[in-house]
Amino acid sequence: MRKKALHSAFELFTILLIYIKLNLKAILEYKFDRTFITIAIFCREMISVVVMFLILVRFVHIKDWGYNELFFLYSFLFLSYSAFVLLFSGMRDFPGVIYAGEFDRYLTRPLGLLYQIIASRLDLSAALGHGIVGIILFVNTAFSVGIIWNARNIAYYIITILSGAVIQASIFMFANCFSFWTVKTENLRNMIFFSARRFSGYPISFYPGIIQKLLIFVIPFSFVNYFPAQYFLNKSDMNLFWDGFLYLPPLIAVIMFALVYAFWKCGVRHYSSTGTSM
Amino acid sequence: MRAYVEFAKKAFQINIAYRADYIAGVINAVVMIFVNISIWKAIYEDEQAVDGVQFKMLITYIVLSFLMQCIYGMDEYFIEYKVRSGSIGLDLLKPISFSGYVFSYNVGILVFRVVMQLIPAMIVSIFLFKMYPPFSWSMAAFFLLSAILGYFVLYNLNFLVWVSSFWFYWTFSLVTIKDAAVMILSGALLPLWFMPQALVDFINLTPFASIYYVPISIYLGQVPMEEIALTLAKQLIWAVGLFVAGRLLWRSAIKKLVVQGG
Repeated sequence: MRKKALHSAFELFTILLIYIKLNLKAILEYKFDRTFITIAIFCREMISVVVMFLILVRFVHIKDWGYNELFFLYSFLFLSYSAFVLLFSGMRDFPGVIYAGEFDRYLTRPLGLLYQIIASRLDLSAALGHGIVGIILFVNTAFSVGIIWNARNIAYYIITILSGAVIQASIFMFANCFSFWTVKTENLRNMIFFSARRFSGYPISFYPGIIQKLLIFVIPFSFVNYFPAQYFLNKSDMNLFWDGFLYLPPLIAVIMFALVYAFWKCGVRHYSSTGTSM
Repeated sequence: MRAYVEFAKKAFQINIAYRADYIAGVINAVVMIFVNISIWKAIYEDEQAVDGVQFKMLITYIVLSFLMQCIYGMDEYFIEYKVRSGSIGLDLLKPISFSGYVFSYNVGILVFRVVMQLIPAMIVSIFLFKMYPPFSWSMAAFFLLSAILGYFVLYNLNFLVWVSSFWFYWTFSLVTIKDAAVMILSGALLPLWFMPQALVDFINLTPFASIYYVPISIYLGQVPMEEIALTLAKQLIWAVGLFVAGRLLWRSAIKKLVVQGG
């Protein structure tokens, strides 16, 4: 069954603003708590940064990756994760919506389902916590690793950060779609996602070949930070990989999103309510 | 005493119900060890010392630390949940010590983690990562003792954070910040011998090193025989000191408690 678009882009945008306003109101109701949670997430994410810092204080460089280059590589992870939770936290959290039976309500509304899922959640604390770490790393490194910030590079940078956000959202979304069949995959999802993320904290050339291939072809985390960083840094270990990978992040993001979208459509068709809505 | 054993058993049973969780825990530990070893290999390749003694000791350190992290996990929100739901009111009426109840619950989790996570992860690690055996038999025994003391230090430190839920109700932030401090300052992720001297001097004034760094150093034979007694005594003092602080905080928490409904 094909449906006509019910709303113009302008209307959708207006509704999005209303959603954001509502979410912000809910968040700002507990200003002190939220600030504290943001600080806590910041501290948690700083653990690995501090450890990397202490290692580099002692050893100065790892292979031929220096201090600034490693942190520049790392900043992609935090900034794209921040963009992901800012834009798509609904996609991260929607199993909860299904288990609570709230999804039934979404079905009755005259709006696109995916649109509602994406617009209805806003995780500002996580976005800020990760984002601040990312910005600190970026500001400290982006101007000392020999990058000329011309229009082309800035455009590449913004596009790859957004692609990274979409890639991560797709990984989450893929695992979450199993909840339409009431299969719980959260443990598996977290394990796969956060393991891949931990690997990606350092250049993938540090790892055995099998892990490199996994991070390129199976869970394409290397397109979130390694290849984008290599575009700017052009380190010698890039000759282990095909040059074209440098330009692939947007394409990978589009392909992954298209695949996940098809899977989501299939899931929605199979959906039968948990019967717990209020 | 029997009641407490039953609490521990119950905690064990609750945990064993979530099979996916503990398999994920084991895999997670192995992945983390693997990531860290790969990074250290990359570092030491520069120094041409991948087969050296120092590198192997480092590998052993990393493996041990993550295995200990496997079993040092506790239920961080047990007290918070009881305070917020009000069910603590009923618990306090029971003729048992509440802190004894919390402790035995965590001992149940500990036993569960030793059996279901530590042992599988240890077997995988021994085959995969070629760690050193303990420095000697006596050091192995001291390591065990020291690791138990480390557990008590961490437990009593955690208890202080948990009891703060009587004031804050939500302790996610405090627990997370405490975890960050423990992970960095206790040497769980990076041995203290790589840290700048000023930071080490600071850490030595805190209980953190007692949790991971001291037991692992003993395992590796880095603490000379004549200093063992002093080292263990220091751990014991921290454990007891934090325990006393926990008791004091608990006493004022009870006075402060307001149960709404429950």
